[in-house]
Amino acid sequence: MFTELNSILNATPDSFTQGEFILVSDRQSDASFLIHHFLSFYLRARCKVCFLGLVQSFSHYSAISQRLGVSLTQAREKGQLIFLEGLKESLSILIPQETTTGSQAMDFLRDPTVGLQRLYEFVRSSVSSDGGGEEGVEEWGPPVLLVDDVSVLLSLGVSAGAALDFSHYCRATVCSQLQGNIVMLVRCHGEEAEDDGSDEGSEWLLKGLTHQCSLTLHVQGLPTGYCRDIHGQVEVCWRRRRGDGQHTQKKLFQYKVHDKGASFFAPGTSSAVL
Amino acid sequence: MLSELLQGTDTGAVLIIQDSCSYSGQHLLKSFISAALNKLHFHSAYTDPLGWTNRSAFTVHQFCVEELTHLLKQTSHPKPVTLVIDSLSWILRHMSPPAVCKSLQQLKKGGAVRAVIGLLHADMHQRGTVGSVCHLATSVITVAPGTKGDEAVAKITKRSKLGKVTQDEEIFSIKGDFSVTVVSKTSHAGRRQTEPEEQQMDPTANLTFNIRLSDTEREAKEKLALPFVFSKEKKTALLQSGPGSGRILYEPDANDDYDQEDPDDDLDV
Repeated sequence: MFTELNSILNATPDSFTQGEFILVSDRQSDASFLIHHFLSFYLRARCKVCFLGLVQSFSHYSAISQRLGVSLTQAREKGQLIFLEGLKESLSILIPQETTTGSQAMDFLRDPTVGLQRLYEFVRSSVSSDGGGEEGVEEWGPPVLLVDDVSVLLSLGVSAGAALDFSHYCRATVCSQLQGNIVMLVRCHGEEAEDDGSDEGSEWLLKGLTHQCSLTLHVQGLPTGYCRDIHGQVEVCWRRRRGDGQHTQKKLFQYKVHDKGASFFAPGTSSAVL
Repeated sequence: MLSELLQGTDTGAVLIIQDSCSYSGQHLLKSFISAALNKLHFHSAYTDPLGWTNRSAFTVHQFCVEELTHLLKQTSHPKPVTLVIDSLSWILRHMSPPAVCKSLQQLKKGGAVRAVIGLLHADMHQRGTVGSVCHLATSVITVAPGTKGDEAVAKITKRSKLGKVTQDEEIFSIKGDFSVTVVSKTSHAGRRQTEPEEQQMDPTANLTFNIRLSDTEREAKEKLALPFVFSKEKKTALLQSGPGSGRILYEPDANDDYDQEDPDDDLDV
């Protein structure tokens, strides 16, 4: 959890806006440090987290979260964290064995044209709390869905339209119905092309998700080139009206990733410069 | 013009709000909804538009005139209603543009719906699709972010029934209760651009010294002969040396006879 980012977004683990769809995007950069931030933030806020880890293994996130002070293995054991290990599950689908049952979530690998309905059903069953009031089951806060990342689905053969439908359904269930939050990571490579919308690639997916979301964090390298002390810039854009009456819609920050966190500062105020 | 459109649309009108990633048109759409509230009924196709959970009230594939009229008749409202579509882009992603255009055109003519207001994300579709849908509309409002924080620019094109097209550009802002205040009207975008240029063009104003010429000074300036201009009088004066001017007599000396190609020419060997 990065404390400076919390103050920028005006959120603490005790009080944050519910029903938000946060879109983290990057272009020729790596915004996955923000996913680690949101994972540790929502686990600290005692929310029920459903994490679709499609690009890295569980141990990767676990090791980084330990540095941020959160234990993923403990959270998974307690039932607070439901982790879909995309890499492992995809192996069981591509190399089917008799003993593997597994969830049907990664079924789209068999036939990408079918769409992501099964993945959505996995998400829905994870975030909806099982009723009952059993003894010893802790009450968690609002559900949170984290996806890392959506653009890898495009390389697996899923169409961008299907990915947008999936995010729409997740938003309808998690944000509107259950008043939870969603954080999705989209990665674009290459320049911002002025394609006509005919090429449904990651740029088009980014535009579609931007229209659906309420807060975007766009990570890019510095426009002036490589710098050892500043790793890039983050543009934060609020798309919905905020309750506190502020009207600032866009803010730009520069950031530096450390071993145990990241620091954010206004452009030109890096500690290396001042 | 924006306030006129907000107050009431004529029968058979189709209004399209075009937006892009940099500014969302949803706030303006909500303003239209709140302005038209007495003639509105809400049908939710949000939770299950594709029928994935089998609990949908209305799926995207039901967007055709028959189904819509059936749905609207269920509300048992005496007056024809205003149909607000949020968003048309969603429908265009799942149904072919010609089918959507056909439905819109039939709705425009039919009696069940008084007016149609739709939100379209212009950067999500090809220019041809956007153009075809906007061509059907009687009014198109394109919203873009403005220069100041909460202001936005709206470019409005309105087609009247007689075929007259009026265009307007206004700066507006939306307050917390979704009421729209038009901040200013700019009838030509170009006029705003020439004004700062005109202000830059007069650096001679407000100087502490005088750089203007009076008439006698200007005459004297024009009469002045410049020193290196080669006029006819100067030419003749230079060529014919006057009396008493120095003359230069030159007799070639042996030392001056230096041949560049043979530097040892002067050696007396």
